[in-house]
Amino acid sequence: MGPHLSWYLALSAVLFTIGVVGVVVKRNVISMFMCIELMLNAVNLTFIAFSSYFRDVTGQLFVFIVMTVAAAEAAVGLGIIIAIFRNRESLDVDDANILKL
Amino acid sequence: MFTALLFIIFAGLAVGCAVSMVVQRNPLYSAISLIGVFIALASLYVMLAAPFMAAVQVIVYAGAIMVLVVFVIMLLNVEEEERRKVRLRYLLPTGVVLAAVLIAEAFFILYFVGNADATLRDPAGSNVGLTASIGTGLFTKYLMPFEITSILLLMAIVGAMTLARRAALLSPGARVIPGAQVLPRHLVNPRAVGDATEVVTHTTAQAAALIGEQETEGASEKE
Repeated sequence: MGPHLSWYLALSAVLFTIGVVGVVVKRNVISMFMCIELMLNAVNLTFIAFSSYFRDVTGQLFVFIVMTVAAAEAAVGLGIIIAIFRNRESLDVDDANILKL
Repeated sequence: MFTALLFIIFAGLAVGCAVSMVVQRNPLYSAISLIGVFIALASLYVMLAAPFMAAVQVIVYAGAIMVLVVFVIMLLNVEEEERRKVRLRYLLPTGVVLAAVLIAEAFFILYFVGNADATLRDPAGSNVGLTASIGTGLFTKYLMPFEITSILLLMAIVGAMTLARRAALLSPGARVIPGAQVLPRHLVNPRAVGDATEVVTHTTAQAAALIGEQETEGASEKE
């Protein structure tokens, strides 16, 4: 008996939920950023599970593009984090509660 | 049976590392736990007959992105999150309740999906996850999204460079017209947030000295 499709979907739901909880609970910008990466990965797992189930390569191409978006997000997001740190000397999201630098 | 065992091992590793990532207070430990999640997910991708995606997962996520994150953590010298009084004390219970609802919804749906015949077929004989089929898909049917992705990356590069630039310095071509420059201080030096005292300069050298002086002031405030 191999793993059922729903096992993968359940794992993905659990990982996504852990990511959501992390974003809500954490106060450090970098930790929140990593929780978002975790959520993206949970979605990727769903895509690849369905791709394998339907024997269609489209799901894996979506994952490819999601990874590119994640890389772009990492570059810009970390740039923003560094800019905030330069101006506020802190990585706490409560200290960066206005849109002005 | 063997694959089920492997699934349980890797799924447990992924969930354990994810929980540890949220629980850790030091961002560096969080980052290392996240790398564990990525490795576990890459193993699951191999089980799902997607070897190319597994390789990309390890190279791009565990390699490039996490190196960037760890680099920033080290650069900013982030200390542990201090346990101070939580300002929004209702946030933690709200998060936990929302998480429970989300999990319950997911399993409610999965219960019905689970009744359908959704056993994963044996991947042998399928070429879906191989590099050749992914390349064919990317450069024929999905060429347009691929090109849009390249534009997205270009925008990310430009955005990152713009953000990382130092803002307060005079650009090489800047010239101050004598008597013409009356600026609020926070325009000259973005660090002086909320300080709207006007700054008057008469020459370029004076403006440069002004900004340089404020730079050192900012540095001494840092210490």
